Amino acid sequence: MVATTDSSTGTSISIRADDEFPVNRGQMCIKGFNAHELIASPERLLNPLKRVDGQFVEIAWAQALDEIADKIKTIQTAHGRDAMSAFGSGALTNEKAYLLGKFARVALGTANIDYNGRYCMSSAAAGQNRAFGVDRGMPFPVEDIASTGCAMLWGSNLTDTLPPIMQYFDTLRARSGRVIVVDPRRTETARQADLHLQLTPGTDLLLANGLLHVAIDEQLIDLSYIESRTNDFAAIAAIALRSHPAYVERLTGVSLDQMRQAVRWLAETPSMILSGRGPEQQSKGADSVSALINLMLALGKVGKPFSGYGTLTGQGNGQGGREHGQKADQLVGYRLIENPVHRQQIAEFWGIDEADLPRKGKSAVELVDACGDDVRGMLVMGSNIAVATPGANNVKERLASLDLLVVCDSFMNDTAELAHYVLPTQQWAEEDGTVTNLEGRVIRRRRVIDPPASTRGDVEILCQLAVRLGMAEKFAFTTAESVFDEFRRATAGAPADYNGISYDKIDQHDGIFWPCPAADHPGTPRLFATEFAHPDARARFLAIDHRPAAEEPDDEYPIFFTTGRYREHYNSGAQTRKVDILVRSKPEPKAQLHPLLADQIGITDGERVVVESRRGRIVLVAHVTPEIRPDTIFAPFHWGGRQSANILTNPALDPTSRMPEFKICAVRVRQVDAT
Amino acid sequence: MAKKHLVIIGHGMAGSRLLDELQSRHAGTRYRITVYGEEPGAAYNRILLSKVLGGADPDTIRMKAETWHPGDDVTLVPRTRVDRIDSANRLLHLSDGSTEPYDIAIIATGSRPFIPKIEGSVLADSSPKPGVFAYRTLDDCLQMRSKLRPGDSAVVLGGGLLGLEAAKALADNGLHVTVCHLMPTLMETQLDETGGKMLQRQIEQQGIFVRCGRTIAAILGCNQVRGVRLDDGTELAADMVVLACGIRPRVDLAQASGIPVNRGVIVNDALATAVPGVYALGECAEHRGRVYGIVTPIWEQCEALADILCATGSARRYTGSKLYSRLKVAGVDVASMGVVKPELASDQTIQIFEEQRATYRKLILREGKLIGAQLVGDTAAAGQLVQLFDRNTTIPLNPLEALCAYSAAGGSTGAALDRQVCNCNTVNESAIVSAIKQGCVSVEAVGVCTRAGTGCGSCRSQIVGLIREHRPAAAATL
Repeated sequence: MVATTDSSTGTSISIRADDEFPVNRGQMCIKGFNAHELIASPERLLNPLKRVDGQFVEIAWAQALDEIADKIKTIQTAHGRDAMSAFGSGALTNEKAYLLGKFARVALGTANIDYNGRYCMSSAAAGQNRAFGVDRGMPFPVEDIASTGCAMLWGSNLTDTLPPIMQYFDTLRARSGRVIVVDPRRTETARQADLHLQLTPGTDLLLANGLLHVAIDEQLIDLSYIESRTNDFAAIAAIALRSHPAYVERLTGVSLDQMRQAVRWLAETPSMILSGRGPEQQSKGADSVSALINLMLALGKVGKPFSGYGTLTGQGNGQGGREHGQKADQLVGYRLIENPVHRQQIAEFWGIDEADLPRKGKSAVELVDACGDDVRGMLVMGSNIAVATPGANNVKERLASLDLLVVCDSFMNDTAELAHYVLPTQQWAEEDGTVTNLEGRVIRRRRVIDPPASTRGDVEILCQLAVRLGMAEKFAFTTAESVFDEFRRATAGAPADYNGISYDKIDQHDGIFWPCPAADHPGTPRLFATEFAHPDARARFLAIDHRPAAEEPDDEYPIFFTTGRYREHYNSGAQTRKVDILVRSKPEPKAQLHPLLADQIGITDGERVVVESRRGRIVLVAHVTPEIRPDTIFAPFHWGGRQSANILTNPALDPTSRMPEFKICAVRVRQVDAT
Repeated sequence: MAKKHLVIIGHGMAGSRLLDELQSRHAGTRYRITVYGEEPGAAYNRILLSKVLGGADPDTIRMKAETWHPGDDVTLVPRTRVDRIDSANRLLHLSDGSTEPYDIAIIATGSRPFIPKIEGSVLADSSPKPGVFAYRTLDDCLQMRSKLRPGDSAVVLGGGLLGLEAAKALADNGLHVTVCHLMPTLMETQLDETGGKMLQRQIEQQGIFVRCGRTIAAILGCNQVRGVRLDDGTELAADMVVLACGIRPRVDLAQASGIPVNRGVIVNDALATAVPGVYALGECAEHRGRVYGIVTPIWEQCEALADILCATGSARRYTGSKLYSRLKVAGVDVASMGVVKPELASDQTIQIFEEQRATYRKLILREGKLIGAQLVGDTAAAGQLVQLFDRNTTIPLNPLEALCAYSAAGGSTGAALDRQVCNCNTVNESAIVSAIKQGCVSVEAVGVCTRAGTGCGSCRSQIVGLIREHRPAAAATL
């Protein structure tokens, strides 16, 4: 986007889409188009707040930082270093993500740091790492969508969640390419598709295995590709052959006819599967992603032109956010904290003893769950965990039981309300930095307006806290670029290698795709053409079979509940619910349900319904529409309080990715008045 | 505490699946497991046998990859039959004469093909007459395959699922194929007369001849099949006779061991036989008077028994399965679930018969719930119907809606579907469509007329879609 300062006042900005930029090419979503409202919002926090006797009072920065540092020391002296924790975000720039990771491991010396990307990209990341040996959301640029033959959008409602990308699908269709959508809802994206597989929630993995069965049955698999570029096909083939269409139809609700059509289209031309959070946010999310990748490997598509598997990142820096060490098991450059070689490299780089580098810590849900027990303090940056975490009622209790909760944000939100200190930060147009987009393209974010003088950037806050914790020399950063320069060197030789990238180089080339190991390297827009990142350069099939969701509907809670986004809102809505036009367009969350279900409970469109799970209940206005399966209720997760969808959701975790099961739980629904 | 010794007798689809289910519940922590199988090699997927007949490598239908290893807690013993279970002493008597102690035994011996007594089907020394085949095992298929010659003639006895699959595979190999079926219509356990006849017409169009209401009275030829004589006296030349007359549970082990048997080995809801420590499941077992011959019920039995034995659900009980068959018979898609015909006077039947399209769809309802359905030719609604059937969901007041996509069903209480397309300028679909109909057939023109798409631009692709859908016919040719 292009943001320009209003020259008359110098305090507000205007926004337009950048026609030249190769990703969105002149288009922008309504959230971006209105993001300027946030800069000048009257609700913006301008001074540090401290909670005193249940009320927030404004205090000076020095006092706030001194007190926070003292409390950190007190907690760590009494309960150990791991008692202090940090919680980051896929909305942070690469520089902040790196610095927060370094701050946690070096200044706090704690193992306990994780981030909200755990709720977002962790399953896709795990699936890709297992299959390809590397995780870059999309292994090709988005423009390749327009040139493929068939694009299968699996559990993604792009029209609402990434509208500027839809233009590539328009081009694809104009070229007579095909679009297949897999979604329990007939979303706008599904309506525009050539084929819509309206599957039962939680059966993505089985559907993918069923498609593989059909592909084998119809002899559409690419045996020479399987032979020359992959390992371990036989075991998944045996499972796929057991996934007989009759069994798959029963559980998925998708007819064999549609499966056959989908597989034929995928097989006959260049094709790609792009997954959204649908298959990923499940207690079998990583395995579901593996099932999608298995299918594309068997069809011989991965690494071929305009073909393969990719995942559509949600947050602005969903990709970069997971590469630079704010995840419990990772270090900068997508290194692994339990890998002895990686540990040694980074300990040396940071100038610390390898033994002092913490080990793998708790994942997001587990971290929040430990609050008040062995975790006593938390620093939150760029995330509204009180709304974003499943089993939200319990989460608030947990956060409230901390000895120290510090929230860095530009606005008050549900998490900040529970904090002991709230530190007012700077916004996107007020800071420099880089983000890595869904394609693995590293791009700039530029400062175009001066922030309010009383606010501070996250980089500055972390450095000043580090000084107070006695780590001044390791946090002597003055600019975002200086942080970038340190972390790009830290990634040299790592899986996500940024070493050859600089701010200047990004500016010259509309962004640089990693890996880019050297200053004279052009970057890597397309991966896997000749080799995968495993030591033997082959991709790996993973033998995974269907298993039920952690909580399936039963007599007591007979309906599936699933969550997702509105086009107008972002994450917990902490920012977008403050933008007038977005609120006017989508003022409240609605429970989407089918007329057949509405008939059963005796409600009509616009009436209020009580939706309850084993974990809590919410009251929402009903949106009665045939565009959802009759056995499923959908609600968006952007609201907090009594409208918080995550009061209902199930904190069951994926054993590999530690992703919570946002997409499936069991609920019951009734009229508000009925007893 | 020492691990108990659990033995699975039979390494077919049921035994193999049970082993998977046990292992996924970490059964190795409490049991040492032994699996006895009579056939050599790994268990295979019987449903896919016709592929092998059609030429596929037998290894491609194995349940497990060649590299599969069951793990340290499991011993596979191939080519070994269990002759008797001495349940008082907890000893298995094996075909090699040895004995083996056990703690828990599970009979999964499956079924054997039913071979009717037909004049001339065996030689003087009682060995099968060359050219006569049962269609049941991998070995049967491989033998049959080795004898196939294009131009030969084959008669298949049995017009059920297996017989028709065999017939198709033979026809694909260039044989002249006739199916003889004793009942008046094909696949009578899955289809009513109308459906069976439609299927027959379709199959005949594929070049397979069908004779219903007929059986083989005698197989002709001295030392080799030369033809058959049907029960009406007609003689047909044939180089090969394939018997696909259904299956019978294999209960000899249970009988020899004093375990109560009716048609199958009798089990209760815990899949236990009357003899302590001995369970049975799969095609050899009879549960609540029913013996199952299709795969899903058997998998459900495996899950239930694994839950019970691994204490992951000791209170779990198997209460019976709902039947769903799905197949492609000679290129015709067929789906069948539940009852084939109405049973009570109050049962409601909906039939859609489309001669030109060669499709037949039938629903049978009881008190607003789906108790049976058959689809021939058009099975697009199968996935949806089988879920309504499985879950016993009340179906729409207009039952035809159950054959449509959800988005076409039950519109009565829904909101008007006038979606907001352009959020920036709050323009609804109806306004855009009306502009398109008045001649605004480009995104720009729609924008000028309605302001839609002139904000952030992210709805432009939706507008393109609406233009494609709604533009006046004259404009479409431009």
